Order: sequence, then structure tokens, then C-alpha cells
Amino acid sequence: MTPLLVSVLGIVSVLGLYLATISGRHTQQPGDFVDAGLALPPWVIIFAGAGITLASLSLPNHLLLLATFGLQYNQIAGGLICVALCAAVTQKRVWLAARLTSLRTLGDLLGDYFGSTTLRIYMLLVLFLFSIPFAAMCLSQAGALVSAATANDVPAGLAIWSIAFVLFLCSVIGGWRGIAYLVAAQSLLVLALMIFFGAFTGFTLDKLAFAANGIGTASGVLPDRIPGVIQFGAGIGKELPAGGLWTTFAGLTFALSLGGIAISPGFSFLGVTSAPRRGFAFGQVWMIAGLAAGALILIGPVLAAEIAASGSLTAFTIRLAALDPMVAVGFTVLLVASGQIAVAFFAGSGASVCTIELTSRYIIPGMDQRSTRFAARVTLALVYGAVAAVASYAPLSATIFSSLTLSLSMQLLPAVLGLCWVRWISRSGVLAGLIVGSLCVVFTESFGLVLFERLFVDLPWGRWPLSVHSAGWGLATNFTACLLVSLFTRSDAERGRRDCLHDAFEESTPARKGSQAATTAKWSLTLLWAFFALGPGAILGNTFFSEPIFAGTVVAPGMPSLLIWQVMFWFVGVLIVWWLAYQGRLSVIDERPRHKIVLVPDVNPLFEPVTTPWIARFLDRVTGR
Amino acid sequence: MTPLDKNEALDRHALVMACWLAAALPAAILFQYGFGQGGTPYLLAAFAAILAGFVAHVIVNVVYGTGFSPRELGLGLVIYGLALVLFVVLSLVSAPFAAHNFLPLSIGFIAMGAVVVFYLITRFGARQAFEAFDVIRDFRSDDRDSKRSPGDHT
Repeated sequence: MTPLLVSVLGIVSVLGLYLATISGRHTQQPGDFVDAGLALPPWVIIFAGAGITLASLSLPNHLLLLATFGLQYNQIAGGLICVALCAAVTQKRVWLAARLTSLRTLGDLLGDYFGSTTLRIYMLLVLFLFSIPFAAMCLSQAGALVSAATANDVPAGLAIWSIAFVLFLCSVIGGWRGIAYLVAAQSLLVLALMIFFGAFTGFTLDKLAFAANGIGTASGVLPDRIPGVIQFGAGIGKELPAGGLWTTFAGLTFALSLGGIAISPGFSFLGVTSAPRRGFAFGQVWMIAGLAAGALILIGPVLAAEIAASGSLTAFTIRLAALDPMVAVGFTVLLVASGQIAVAFFAGSGASVCTIELTSRYIIPGMDQRSTRFAARVTLALVYGAVAAVASYAPLSATIFSSLTLSLSMQLLPAVLGLCWVRWISRSGVLAGLIVGSLCVVFTESFGLVLFERLFVDLPWGRWPLSVHSAGWGLATNFTACLLVSLFTRSDAERGRRDCLHDAFEESTPARKGSQAATTAKWSLTLLWAFFALGPGAILGNTFFSEPIFAGTVVAPGMPSLLIWQVMFWFVGVLIVWWLAYQGRLSVIDERPRHKIVLVPDVNPLFEPVTTPWIARFLDRVTGR
Repeated sequence: MTPLDKNEALDRHALVMACWLAAALPAAILFQYGFGQGGTPYLLAAFAAILAGFVAHVIVNVVYGTGFSPRELGLGLVIYGLALVLFVVLSLVSAPFAAHNFLPLSIGFIAMGAVVVFYLITRFGARQAFEAFDVIRDFRSDDRDSKRSPGDHT
């Protein structure tokens, strides 16, 4: 199987290099290397969006967790609709803001809009978490998969460095456009292979484990039920959750953390650098909510049941190899390609955003286009070097750090909502929320717990206390602090700048066609959907179809009641995203902005230092006497 | 049909490559498994995967308002021709191969040809589609006929 797997991975790599080379050759301006001339085609957004979403969920991990926890974990697949919703709410407005202000990254937009350097630094922190530990975790998994599939003929270290080198070559030759092509092509491959393996296992394997016995989880874990709305336990590491970890609150809050993908610096950069007309809406509705979520909900349990029956992912691959080596190679390529998408996208976008936000803004301001391209290439080399080194030598650290990534990214939601929709959210509110929310995230995740307990004393709670994900803890406190502080500072000195952008939004968007009642209905329906699909209402799915309340009897629907519930709410979820994105015009760009606005004059704080107001007042008080 | 600018041509080409990558790997798996344990249904499914790639290519053409480029046509014909020759040769030299695979492969090749003809007829009309392959007319000595463009009725 080794030569076959290496050949297929080689062919995919050659295709990537080919795409990178032709896009590198066609680049008109050297500066386009960093941002593709802000003209990525809609199909890239459509396919790459779905692929990145699947890759961010980490496909091998998803299948393994599904095999461990059964259908209670399948709720997370429905959480991809949260990604689509979050993208529908923010992506078009961020794109419009970027075009109105001629800024190219979310960090620059938030920094200028709120007039805050702290927000820029926070965005860079999130960017580095995505670019290095998260990408390293995915690369490490890809290396382990290749090593296991080849019975260590290709050691994990060699696989990691080879994959990293090929992806680096593609990125350094093709620039952002080449990376986007590669990611979109591999996303299409992953989606096609997901559907293919769903059908193939269904037709080929003698008796599907899912149909025969369901997902064979360990004893004590409910395979086809959600174990409760919430568990009043101290969290992982302190108490063993009865029946499994994935209560409705765990599912809902994890799904919220997935929204962090949509507002991550890289995903926002992909949107900003595109030139779509209807690409956003199509990608969000049909690809992310429709195809990606649907494939996971329907095909995930089938594959997970086979993995659980085989004992491990490697054992399942060996079982496929017994059918035909090429089948096992295809399955390995599916998993490795999803890892490659994450590595190429987050490392590539990280290098581009870092060049724009850090290098050309603070370190070497005023670089010409050629120097910018060179700086981007050097950044790419550093990022890929770091990713490969961490993946090879510190995979555990990468996993611990990457557990923070999505939750911390999601803490930017109030800031992004402020930028896109709510003009009265103030800088003080956003910063207060970020501080409180991030602290809650850190102290409900392994990183903070390990750090605190090593340095000081044992905390009374573990990871995800009360079976609520760290993103949930963070968001609850973040929103509370943000709204409270914004209430008192909504008319602060920066209000004029915020109004300026929101007035420009209203000029660029035609008057709303629907009535106020229709808008209320849309958002009420969305909240109702979230309550029943992911929130506490999902507990009804355990028995809704197998023990109907009004029939007073037990029926055998042929599949677990919870799966029917999940599929039903997946359909409804797609309908809601479609309604918001297309009918609500949230993701349809009707016309391009007609004029430009300047949020703040271009000031470089390193060279033209601005004294912080409280320091200025203090100095004034001291020197004035 | 307006000619594509440089970036659009590149976008279209990359999309075509992506579509064929997504179709080719499942097709390769199905062929490999079909020639082994799988048999006829899997070989037919492999041809279906290739046809899905072709349909995706046609959709890309429609989206970008283009047709197949001469290079794509050439590559497609060469691959189809080589596969056909390989199939005939293998069927002639290997009796077990012919016994197991002749029928599904024949159906597959004929179906592919039929789909291409169907596409040509729906895209260009029967007359123009035929004229594209009208070799005899090319050998005519009549200068007027050879200079006449396809679809020119005067």
C-alpha cells in the first residue's frame, strides 16, 4: 500500500504545485502575492469555505469522537450550521467595510474602527494560534495517519516534513491565489470522497455496523441518546460524566465555538480578498450548511460505527485495504487532505495577514510591492518551519494550545457584531468583554488549568465545568461585560467614527424590502431552531420518534430517534440559513460601495507614539504643578 | 461569447482541474476495485464518476461562457483513444480479462461516446456537430466548399 499511497499523495501534490505555478506566473503585480489582488473567484469561496469548516473540525478527530460517544456527538455536525449562520451575519458586512475603507484584514478593520491597538494585538494572538498550534495539530495528525497507513514505512516525522515542504512550495510560488486554489481544489476532493465513502461502505461492506448494532461505544456511554441537558459536575479531569459528556449544553456551546471559524482572521481574509456577487450566499447555504453539515450528519455515523467495530481508525483502514489497497488509500487521502487544507489555509492566510498587519505596518512601514512579496515569503518560511517543528517535536503542546483557538476566536464576536451591525457597542465594552471572556476560556481549558495548577493550587473545577464548553463560559461573561460597559459608554468620543462606517453601510445597501414582522420572524425562528436543534430542546430527540408522546406506545422507526431528529433539524437549519442569506439579503452583495471613507489617519504608533489618555492626564497633573 | 481576461481564464482552468481531481480519484478507486472483487457494478460506477467529471466541466464552461479549449479536447480524445486501444488489446490477449470485463467496459465506453455526442448535438445542433467530424468534405477539391464555414447556408 505504501507505494500506492505515496503515488496518490504525490499526484495531488503535483496538481497543487501546478496550480501554484500557473497562478504565480499570471500574477500581474508583485503586491498581489499577498492578497490575490482582492479578486479571488466566487468558486474558491464556495468550495474552500466548506473544506475549511470540515478541516477546522478536524475530520479524523470528529470520526474518532463519534466512534467514542455515538450519536450524542453527532450534534456537533449540526453545529456547522452555526458556522454558516455566523458567516451569513458577518461576512458580507466585513467585505463591505473592507471595500469602504480600503483595509484588507479584520484586525486592521477592528483596530481602526474601535481605535484600539489592544484589539490588533488580540487579533494577532488569535492569528498565531490558528497559524501555528492549530495547523501543527492538523499536520501532526496527517503525519500519524500516513505513518499508520504505511505500517511505518513512511515515519510520521518524514511525512510531516514532506507535507509541510510541498505545501510551503505551493504557497511560496503561488502566493495567496495559489493557496486559495489549492485549498478549494482539495476541499472539493474531500467533499467528493466523503460522499463516495458513505456510498461505498454502504454498498460494499457485508453488514453495516451502524445498521446492525449502532455505534459500539464503551460501556457507560449512551450511543444513541443525549445524556441530559446539563450535568452539574466539576468538569473533565475532576468527575466522570455519566452517560457521556455531550449534554445539550455541551453540544450547543461547542457549536458556538465553531462560529469562531467564521470570524477567524484567516476566514475573514478569504472573504475580504474575494470578488463575489453571489458566492458568499451559495457557499454558506448550500456548501457549509447543506453539503458539509449534511455529509457529516449522515455519513459520519456510518463511518464511525465501522471504526468503532474495527477498534481503531488504523484497523478500519486495514479492513478497507483487505478489500483493495486503493480503497484504503482513498480513505487515507480523504483524512490527510482535510489536514492539508487546514495547514495550507491557516499557515498561508496567517503569513499574508501577518505581513499586512505586522510587518508592513509596524516593522518595516512603507515597503514597496516587491519587498512586501519578499516579506510574505520569509513569513511563510518561518510559519511553515514553526508548524512542522511543533508538529514533529511537540504535538501534545500543539493540541493543548489549539484547544484554545476556536474559543478565543469566538470571543471576537461582540467586536465583529459592533463593526458589522451594532453601532453602540463601544471600545471599552469590547475590551472589557474580551478580557473577561478570554480569562474564562483560558481557565476552563486544559492550558489554563495546567498552568495555574502547576504554579499555584488545584482549582475546584476541571475542563468544561457543568459540561459547558469553554466558548460558552467565555461568551456568556464576554457578552454580559460588553453590554453592561457599552451601555454606559455608548456615546463616547469614538462614536462619530463608528457612525461614519454604519452610515456608509446604509448608503451601500438598498432599503430593506421585508417588513419588521418578517425580520422578527426570521430571528425568532433562528433562535427556536437553535433551542430545538442544539440547545436544551434537543433532549426531546432522544425518544421523540421512538416513543411518541401522544401515541403512548413504542414504535421502531428503523433508526435511532436522535438521528431522525438531527436530520430533520439539519433540513430546517439549511432553510433558515437560506432565508437569512438570500431572502434577508445578509449575504447577497447588490452593489459595490460607491465611495471610500477614512476611519483614522494612517498613524504608526511606533514612529509617531500617541500617549494613552490616562497617562497624558497623569503627566499633565504632575507637570502642571 | 466574450473572451475571458487573464485572471478569468486562470480561474476557469483551476476550477476545471479541481473538478477533474474530485472525479478522478473516486473513479480510480472504483476501477481498481471493479477489476478485482467488485465486478460490473463498480466498473459502471467508475464510468459514472468520469461522466460526472465531464458534466462538471460542461457546467464550468456554461458558468464562464466558454467551450472546451483545443488542449482539453486533444487531451480528452487522446486519453479516450488510449484507454480504448488498451481495452481492445487486453481483451484480445487476456481471455479472463475479456470474460470478466468486456461487457461493462464496452457499455462504459459506448455510454461515454453517446454522452459526448449528445452534448455536441445539444450544444451545436446536429448539422454543426456532424460537420465538425466531416473528414470527407475536407478532402474535396472544391475550393468554395472547403472555405465555407460551418453553418453557412449561402
